[in-house]
Amino acid sequence: MTDELVISGLEVSIGANKILKGLDLTVRQGEIHALMGPNGSGKTSLAYTLMGHPDYIVDAGSVTWRGQDLLALPPDKRAKLGIFLAFQYPSAIPGVTVASFLRNIYNAIHHPKPDDETGETSIKYTGIPLAKFRKLMEEKMALLKMDPSFATRYVNEGFSGGEKKRLEMLQMAIVAPQMAVLDETDSGLDIDALKNVADGINATLSPEMGVLMITHYQRMLNYVKPQFVHVLLDGRVVMSGGEELSHQLEANGYDWVRQQVGLPAGTGDEASAPEPVSSH
Amino acid sequence: MTTSVATAQTLDAEAISRISDHLDEADWLRSLRGEWWARASATPPPTGDEEEWRRTDLAPLPRQGELLVDAPEVAISLPGGAAEAGVVVSDLRAAVRDHPDLVQRWLGRSQGQASHAHFWALAQAGWTGGLFVHVPRGVAVDGTIVARTVLDRNDVTYLPITLVVAEEGSSVTVLDEVVSPDGGAAWYGGIVEIRAEQAAHVRYANLQQLGDAAWNIGAQRVVVGQDATVTTLNAEVGSRVTKLGLDVDMSGKGGTSRLLGMLAAGDDQHIDINAHQGLAADHTTSDLLYLSALYDRARAAFYGVTTVEVGTKQTASYQECRNLLLSPKAGAEPIPVLEIMANDILRCGHGATAGAIDPAQLFYAQSRGLDPDAAERMIVRGFFEQVVAQIGDVAIRERVLAALARRIGSTEGMA
Ligand SMILES: Nc1ncnc2c1ncn2[C@@H]1O[C@H](COP(=O)(O)OP(=O)(O)OP(=O)(O)O)[C@@H](O)[C@H]1O
Ligand SMILES: [Mg+2]
Repeated sequence: MTDELVISGLEVSIGANKILKGLDLTVRQGEIHALMGPNGSGKTSLAYTLMGHPDYIVDAGSVTWRGQDLLALPPDKRAKLGIFLAFQYPSAIPGVTVASFLRNIYNAIHHPKPDDETGETSIKYTGIPLAKFRKLMEEKMALLKMDPSFATRYVNEGFSGGEKKRLEMLQMAIVAPQMAVLDETDSGLDIDALKNVADGINATLSPEMGVLMITHYQRMLNYVKPQFVHVLLDGRVVMSGGEELSHQLEANGYDWVRQQVGLPAGTGDEASAPEPVSSH
Repeated sequence: MTTSVATAQTLDAEAISRISDHLDEADWLRSLRGEWWARASATPPPTGDEEEWRRTDLAPLPRQGELLVDAPEVAISLPGGAAEAGVVVSDLRAAVRDHPDLVQRWLGRSQGQASHAHFWALAQAGWTGGLFVHVPRGVAVDGTIVARTVLDRNDVTYLPITLVVAEEGSSVTVLDEVVSPDGGAAWYGGIVEIRAEQAAHVRYANLQQLGDAAWNIGAQRVVVGQDATVTTLNAEVGSRVTKLGLDVDMSGKGGTSRLLGMLAAGDDQHIDINAHQGLAADHTTSDLLYLSALYDRARAAFYGVTTVEVGTKQTASYQECRNLLLSPKAGAEPIPVLEIMANDILRCGHGATAGAIDPAQLFYAQSRGLDPDAAERMIVRGFFEQVVAQIGDVAIRERVLAALARRIGSTEGMA
């Protein structure tokens, strides 16, 4: 039981809005789960809550990772425990180069400055040797078929939507987390980029890594095969199944799910989820 | 040996001549000081009603400190070959002794910025140390001239002069540093004059690390000749109060100036900059970029005026002042002003911002394992990159970043 992320009875609100209303989900290391749901159903809210975003208030429920209470920890501590979030909308950090950012986050997770080191010793702290880091970065950039020139650009500044998503995957490859939440990493990628990114994800995957992949599209799931598919509706996981569930969703839409679970039909807003790509 | 001539309060014509006695000065310098003393007396200090002085109250300026007459020698490191090529870099007192004709030709020749005229004149009359750099025609100095003034007292008044003259077609890079001890309320009134003659290239960086109670009342005048290029960088790290007048005279056709500033302030520090970019000749370019990171209760004011003179053609200018507020009690007041009196301009613009770090950025960095302090440090360092990227000289870049680290934290590991 120590190798799993367990979400139970999770209730989350932002401001006066209750978004998650008792969500249960368990992801074990080595498993790939897909989470699907209409726009605005709370997928990103779940991802942010798992990572510790300060705006999302947990009203009830628990999240444990390898038996440890995750909700009690700030975001950086969660990251250090092996949790990673690939953002749906990654932020730009002007003036900080990709190489410098990657080296910083690698050091934060794999070469942390010992807490008790202050003064002289702390000044000498430099983390991973530069040459060793360069090699790691170049290897991972090649894996994702990223142009090496991205290393000297500023983080996400002026990046296209697809380039941002690739940088998220590069970060994941560099920090090698044990539990990754990918929030619509496939959105905004062109056909070739999707394949490259999926190849990168597959190459980063290991039996020690669990994945919760948030997506609207079947196509990504053709490349990165999930063992489990879940549907988020009305603040809860209302339906779970195997890979076939994603095909059923694509064929029948979310109103079909609502019917199945006895929820009223969706609003126009929710029904107009981004066009799914037809399965082959 | 310590000699006492006066305090800032008791300074008079006689005290000024006692400086000359003490430094055993020639007649030309005695009378030059006398002339400047007359101007200082005739130009009253600011009252606080002037637009440039509204944001800094001069009443608490420590005037009781003795004038430092035995100032420490400026420690100079000169790149190899420069001396052989005829470049003179020396403590100003030594330059007066060793190169009297050269110093006489350049010292005390220009008027200061109108708003800072009193303090400009005061330093011209009462200087007791400083730096003199002279690069002869056509000489390009490879490497960086580093001049370091380390004051060991924090209870004195010190009014040094830095004078940099680059003759026609020459090229030079200077780092001018000052350090003083924390604790006492000293008055540091250093003035700087930079003259780039026709087609000369000057890069001048001023790194200010005065003690935490010091008052820094400075003025800089930059004269950019025809087709000359001057880049100045002011890195303000120390002092309790810094008030700096920065006057750029673009009177040579085709001249270019880049005015860069990096301010990192915390505690109760107060920094107030008045810039004046005077575009007075055709095809001149002057771009200013000042960045401040403000912690605790620190405050930064910036009042910058760009003047495009009547009849000038095709000038280009910009002023940008951006402030990052890292505490709810920190504050910034950036005020850019454009006075455009010509019709035929290429560009003339300004930008001013003041705000906190975007919380989404902080969360993004924290989600990658950086604790809140490390995340903030990285974002602040990124904020300064806009200026850092323009510092071509590696030695200057490293010294300035190391000094800034005192306030913004170490950015070691940021390759
Ligand atoms: N900061 C906020 N303030 C107010 N409401 C918010 C905020 N963030 C999210 N919400 C609301 O919470 C609900 C869930 O949003 P969330 O971003 O989690 O949806 P999602 O499932 O990720 O949607 P999408 O598929 O469009 O990415 C939405 O109704 C949204 O408007
Ligand atoms: Mg979302």
